[in-house]
Order: sequence, then C-alpha cells, then structure tokens
Amino acid sequence: MRNPLSKRYSLEFKKNAGRYICIFLLLVITILIGSGFLCVMESVKYSLDEYLIDNKVEDAYFETAFPLEDNVKNMLGKEDIVLCDNYYSSVEEFDGDAKVYVFNERNEMNIPALFEGKLPTNGNEIAVDRLFAQNHDIAVGDSLELNKIKYIVSGTISLPDYSSLFLNNQDLVMNTTGFGVCMVSEEGFDKFDKSTVTYRYSYRHNERNLSDKEKVEAANRIHKLLVGNGVNVQDFLIAQNNQSIIFLQNDMGKDGPVMEVLIYILIVIMAFVFAVLSSHTIEEEAPIIGTLRSMGYKKWELILHYITPTIIVTFLASVVGNALGYTVMIEPFKRIYYTTYCLPPLALRFNQTAFIKTTIIPVVIMIVVNLALLINKMSLSPLRFLRKDLKKRKQKKAAKLPNFKFISRFRIRVILQNKGSYLVLFFGIFLSSFLLMFGIGLQPLMDHYVDTIDDTLPYEYQYILKAPVEAEGGEKVLIYSLETEYYLTGDNVDVTFYGVQEDSQIFNDFTLPTEQNHIVVSDSFAKKLNVNVGDEIIFEDTVYEKKYTLVVDTISPYTNNLGAYMSIDDLCKLLEKDAGTFNCYASQKKLDIDDAYIAKLMNRSDFLGAAKQMMISFGDVITIVNVFSVFAYLVLMYLLTKIVIDKNSLYISFMKVFGYEKKEIRKLYLDASAIVTLISLLICLPLESYVFKMALVYISSLIEGYMDFYLPVSVYVKIVITGALAYFVINALHLQKVKRIPMNEALKNRE
Amino acid sequence: MKIKVNDVHKFYGNGDSRVEVLRGINCEIQDGEICVLLGPSGSGKSTLLNIIGGIEMADAGCIDIGEDCTKRMNEKELTLYRRNHLGFVFQFYNLVPNLTLKENIEVCAYLSKNPLEIDELLRTLGLYDHKDKLPSQLSGGQQQRCAIGRALVKNPSLLLCDEPTGALDYQTSKEILSLIEQVNRKYRNTIIIVTHNDAIKNIANHVLKMRDGMIVSDYVNENPISASQLEW
Repeated sequence: MRNPLSKRYSLEFKKNAGRYICIFLLLVITILIGSGFLCVMESVKYSLDEYLIDNKVEDAYFETAFPLEDNVKNMLGKEDIVLCDNYYSSVEEFDGDAKVYVFNERNEMNIPALFEGKLPTNGNEIAVDRLFAQNHDIAVGDSLELNKIKYIVSGTISLPDYSSLFLNNQDLVMNTTGFGVCMVSEEGFDKFDKSTVTYRYSYRHNERNLSDKEKVEAANRIHKLLVGNGVNVQDFLIAQNNQSIIFLQNDMGKDGPVMEVLIYILIVIMAFVFAVLSSHTIEEEAPIIGTLRSMGYKKWELILHYITPTIIVTFLASVVGNALGYTVMIEPFKRIYYTTYCLPPLALRFNQTAFIKTTIIPVVIMIVVNLALLINKMSLSPLRFLRKDLKKRKQKKAAKLPNFKFISRFRIRVILQNKGSYLVLFFGIFLSSFLLMFGIGLQPLMDHYVDTIDDTLPYEYQYILKAPVEAEGGEKVLIYSLETEYYLTGDNVDVTFYGVQEDSQIFNDFTLPTEQNHIVVSDSFAKKLNVNVGDEIIFEDTVYEKKYTLVVDTISPYTNNLGAYMSIDDLCKLLEKDAGTFNCYASQKKLDIDDAYIAKLMNRSDFLGAAKQMMISFGDVITIVNVFSVFAYLVLMYLLTKIVIDKNSLYISFMKVFGYEKKEIRKLYLDASAIVTLISLLICLPLESYVFKMALVYISSLIEGYMDFYLPVSVYVKIVITGALAYFVINALHLQKVKRIPMNEALKNRE
Repeated sequence: MKIKVNDVHKFYGNGDSRVEVLRGINCEIQDGEICVLLGPSGSGKSTLLNIIGGIEMADAGCIDIGEDCTKRMNEKELTLYRRNHLGFVFQFYNLVPNLTLKENIEVCAYLSKNPLEIDELLRTLGLYDHKDKLPSQLSGGQQQRCAIGRALVKNPSLLLCDEPTGALDYQTSKEILSLIEQVNRKYRNTIIIVTHNDAIKNIANHVLKMRDGMIVSDYVNENPISASQLEW
C-alpha cells in the first residue's frame, strides 16, 4: 500500500508555497550562475590549452635595439631552441590615443587563429585582433591607415601570445581599448619605416617537457649570451612571466574555485534555511509526529517524509538551474571572457566536473545538513513529541535581562527565541552584502586606482631608448629591472629601478637618499611587499647573477608600478655602469627624438587606460552580482524573519485579543527582526571590508602590479540602504501577514 | 460594567452546512456580578463570550456595553474596547512561553494607562517568588494564576473567563475559583465564567444555562457559596 503520508506533500507545498518558491528560485539562480560560469570557464580553458599547443605559443621573447647578427643567432642555436623573428611596428595614436603593434607574418610560432575572413595574403591586407576590432568598430573589408600605410582588413584573428592585451607587463589589467595587435604579410610589413620597427625574437624549446625552473635557467643563459655578445637587450620576458600569455590561465584557474566556494557557502546557507524551516515544521507538528510514532511509524519513515520536500525542491532547482545555466547563461558568461580576452572561437563542452560541482555537491550538502538535523530531532521519544517537549537541553531559567523598558525586553526575548534563524540570517546578510560590496565597490575602487596613478604619475611621457641620444626638454633617467622575493608567494617580482637626476624637476616628490645603497620605493612597492622605512631588501639581477642589499630610505607617493628610486650616479655605481649612462627620457611634453632611437614610448593615457579596462570587463558580472545580491537579501530575509511570525502567530493572535494595535504588534515582533537585520548589516560591514581587502591582497599576489584597498563611505551607506530597503519590502509583506492572523486562532482550545 | 445582549444570532458555514450556533440570545449582566455561563459542548457559550468580548461579530442583534453597542464599533474601536475594558482568561492559560511570569503580566500592563502595581499583584496571586521563571517551570495552577494576573493588571471592568479550570485538577480548580471570587470582591469587576462544570454555578450571582444556541435558564443565585465550599 502506498504510504498515506505521501499525500501530505501536495498540501505542504500548497500551504508553504511562498517558502518553497523562494528557496527554489534562489537555488535555481545559484545553480544556473554556477553551471553557466563553470561550463563556459572549463570550455574556454580547454579551448585555450588546445590553442596554445596547436598554435605553438612562444616560451619567451626578447627585444633588441637592432637586429641580431647571424653569429649570435647561431650561438643561440646551441640552446636547443627554435628562434623566430617576431618583429612588429608600433603605431601610436590610432583612433585617438590607442597603441597598435602590427606584427609580421607568423607561420612557425604564435600562429594566429582566424575568426572571420582570411589571413593577409598580399601587401595591402591586414588581419586585426577580434577584440580590438570590436572595440574600434573595425569590420572585415574596412580600410585602415597605420603609420601612414593603408591596408584593407582581410579578417579578424587572435594571437596566442596576446590572449590578454597587456601593453606593459606590470599593468594591473589588460587594455583592450587602448592597445591592440594586428598582423600583416611579409610584403605588407616591409612597407613600414624601419624606425617604427621593434626587433622582437620569440623562441620555443624543442624539448617540450622542461620544468619552469629549467626554462628560467635557459632564459638566463640566453640573456647572458646576448648581453655578453654586445647585444642591447631592451626586454626579455619568459612566457610564465608574460601577462599577455599567462594572465588568462592564472585568472581562470583562480576564478573557478572562488565561484565554487561562493556557491557552496550559499548552498550551505540555503541548507540551514531549510533546516530552520524543517525544524519549525517539526515543532509545529510535534503532536502528529508523536501520535504516528506511538502508532508504530518508524523514525526513518518520518525522517524520509520530512526530508522529501527538501529533496524535491533541490532536485527540481538543480534540473532547472542546469538547463538554464547551459542555455541562457552561456552568452552572458561567454561575453565576460570574449569582451576581455582575445580567445580562439569557443567550442562549448558539457563538463562532467562542472555538473558534479554545481549539482551533485549542492544536493549532497542540502541532504546531509537536513538529514543531520532530522536524525537529531527524531531521536526523541514519542512521548516528548506528544508533549511538544523537543528541547534537547532543558531551558532551566529565563535569561536575566537588564531593567529595560518592557518593549525592549520583549524584543530581546523574541531575538533569543529565534537565535538560530537570526544566526543563519546574519550569515546570509554577510554573504549578500559582500557580493553587493564587490558589485558597488569595484567602480570607485578602480576610479581611485586610476585617480591615484593620475595624481602621482610625475611625468607625461616616458621614452625608452634603443641607444643614448640627446634630446631637449627631457630628463635623463636610467631604468633597470631587478627582482626581489614576494613574501606571500615566495616567487620573484620585477622591480623597476629609476636612476634620476639629483636636482630632478620631475621626480621631485621625495628627497633622494644621501647614503649609499639607500633607495626610495614607490607606495605600491611598499604596500605590496609590506616594507617600511629602514627595512633592508635583497634584489637580484638574474642576468648577471648579482645580489644587492638596499635599505628603504623614503616611500614616495607613486602608484603606477613597483618602483625604486635613487640618483642616477648611485644607480650607475650600483650596477657598475659608466657614470652618466641613461636609457630613458622622462618629460612633461613630447620630445623631438628620432623614431629610430625610440624603443618604447609610454604616455599618461597608456598608464591609465589599462585600469579603465577593468570596468568594461566586469560590466556584465557586476550587473549579475548586484541583482543576485538583492534577490538573496530579499529571499533570505523573507524566509528567516517569516519564521518569527509563524512561530508566534498564536501569541500575535492573543495580543490582538488583549487589545494590541497593529503598530504595537509590529513593535513587538517585526521590529526585533528589523533590529537584527540592521545590526547584522552594520556588523557585517567591517567583516566584509576585511575580506574584500584580503581578496585584493590575494589578487595582488597573482599579478605584477598592486591595487590598494579603497572603498568610499558611500559604498557602505549604499549597502546598508539596499539591505534596509530590502527588509522594508519584506516587512511590508509581514505586516500584511500579521494583519491576516485571525483572533479566533487564540480561541481554539489547545494544549 | 453592565452588559445587555439583544437578540443575538450567529451562523457558521455556508449553504447546506450553515449552522445557527446562537439563536436569538437575550440577557442582561449587571455591573460587578459573577455570571456563570453554563452548558455542554457546542451549546454556543464560548461563541457568546467571544461576541461579548468583541472578538467575533454577531450576524444579527447587538451587545450593549454601558452606553455603547459593539455592532456600531469599527475594528479600531473594538480594539480599544478590548484594550480599555476587558480581561481574558483562557482554559490553557496561553502564556507567552519565552517571557517570564512578570513579563507575561507586563504584556497587558503595557496596554493600560493605570495598571495595577505588578509586584503587589504577584504577591496577591502568590507568584512573587516565581516572577522571573518561565511558564514551563511552573505548574498548571500557577500558570493559570499568572493568566488571571495578566487579565487583571489592567484592572478591567469586565473579566471574561473561558473554562478557566478546564485544564486543572480538583484542588487547583477550587483555588483558581477562590482567586476569581477574591478578585471580584477586591476590584468589583464584572466577571463572566464559561464552564461546563455544573458545580461552579454555585459561586455565581447570576447563572445562564445554554443548550443548542439558546438560553434555557436565566436566574439570579440569591445565596452564592464560596469557592472553598464547592464540591464535584
């Protein structure tokens, strides 16, 4: 015979429709975001891995002031590498102030992936990076003028060595509007003036199973060999340090677990919400349970009965969440990646692991939490149920309260009575507010980052030279890169050393150290590496295998990179270079320098543009996060504060009989929830801001640059206002419910 | 407070299942008297009490409370009527479980501009030593005393008691009835006791017997006895 109790399910769903619909919707949204994101992420990751292998991404590149001599190339051949010319022409001020690198045809290494059209086959054609084309409204067939040469766009592509468009390796984020890459045929490349060409060489090891350490050692050998043979090496970057190649892989590797953790936290909170609700149902139905147990129903039959609605809702939410996640959420999440990165065409793959993570694990969490609660509750004797005596630990005494006014004491009693629900509510508010802090706070955080760089960047132009040349109006600077250990990861980070003039008009925000081996460090340097004035820092020159111990003399306000400053003479001495050596000009205006001498030109907008990119990349995510946070607020507040009314509906009915008015009942029962909500919102703020700060430290550990934590008071105010408004909406619903509680509820004879 | 019940009718249900639970009730309860409303289950006595208490509305007829008539009162006025004039005592005490005894009494003291002194009331009820205890820590009799204290603290002119001894043993029931008598003597409030226990009628000044929604007997008891003398 069919279990007669199963007939109660439809009644239960009908009776608590609001409760189940809310949980269902929140679960669906959680799962659809999780499954959509993980499916896209795993598919992109798979496509990217394949792409990097198939299209033979480089292991490293170096740039030289002049083309390599054949004898040097022959010497490099002994390193068991394939070396390729990877020349590019730099285009300044394209479509406003964007910078473009136009690469020569690539056949052996860093082979492009085609999106649309075809690769350039003659001297008039050019293939443009898909993302850059999209951001600058460039379509196949359009005509482009680059360095005064006209080309027709033959197709859109992505380049494996530029999956992330970083103009500078120390930039915090890529710059998809201010920087782009293109490729022309050999015939087309020959049209560029030699003064615009940078001589970049890329290489791949023939042995594909080298460890990172072996690759670094090989790079050091190659670098040394080049320098030893009089080559002026302007830049040397191995793939594992090249943000344009590695950033996406790192980013994707880290996004996944963060998303998973968020989903699991939310599912655990939802599981506890279910547990609190089930607990309330059991308390309400204790005499029925007692009767059924007395009549011979087994404990497990009742556990199964009470857990079934949870399983049904979770299962349905998983099915619907996955179905929507794999359909409607693909495009928004794909857009996040494809408006940020230059990726090959996406082949969507159903991912078993993602399914387990977003569906199986949440269902298991849900069942385990609720099963534990039910087993615990059902372990009581039938008599205890009949007597409605379900407390495991007897409440011996009433908590002693201070001599507050009656209403205040009453509210405290309500809070104590519902402490379990309020605790879950606290965690729910914490998570929702944290997400909201991310959603609302990212824009001002980035604005602050950009503004600080803008305020503190001491010059307008920075010219890196291929060879020393005299120029009017600029200050000579010696720039050199050393490495130091980052305490959080144990890895080395690049620090740019600036040797500046003693009486510099540009670097005048600090006093140069008077003592030998003393340096001024940038604000970003001090914060990222956690150093203070007087600290000793060991720097390493990996090319010359030298170590320097330097003392922090002052901290400068600069935030554009991890920089160290000393007088140009002291830096020359330190690096054992001839006095007066320089390789850069810093200036407040454009200098008249022959292009042939310029290796790299950076202007203010190059430094700022990268940061602005982040808001473009995160636009969709922010909307999803904000909507989700507000929805989570509403659902959690509704479910968990409704319990207070459900638990006390009988007593609310008495209050009405005694002559309490609606507003007085609100004061007694609803204001207790309002107080808890408001206090939770306020207490959570410093906790969320601490977690946010830690998240930034963590993000800083993954990237070369540093982003300081900054959230204006308005962000905190907005969070509290949003949370409070959400509660007021819920409060209005609860008031209606209170109004509907009939007085005759109190008059029914009950024991 | 004097109460006049005028041709009160009350129906429950609709269509074929419509039942008339009060069939034209007429009676008058004088100020300061103890009136016992006696009758078996389903006789309509609790419904009549609820209508007098402004919790339910009569479908026909009206209740005159002093100069007012409950039928003319809107929801707010009914609330104020209950708040200013009435005290309720229920069969199952219905104390708020998470409040102490004193706080349970404060629930109703809060509604009154001139509540009785709570500690003194607790002493009168013999509950002063238990004032900081939760209801679950007390016996049924003590809980019912507290419920009476809660109803009395406003010093209501009308005390409505619905089966106040229905859940209590013999001895405790007599103690509670004695307490109600004592309250009546001390505060001179009108008290209506709904009960199915025939013996309780002996403490009343006025007895109304009900059956099938009608008053079958309405008489004044010239010689009420004290609750301590009751036997059943």
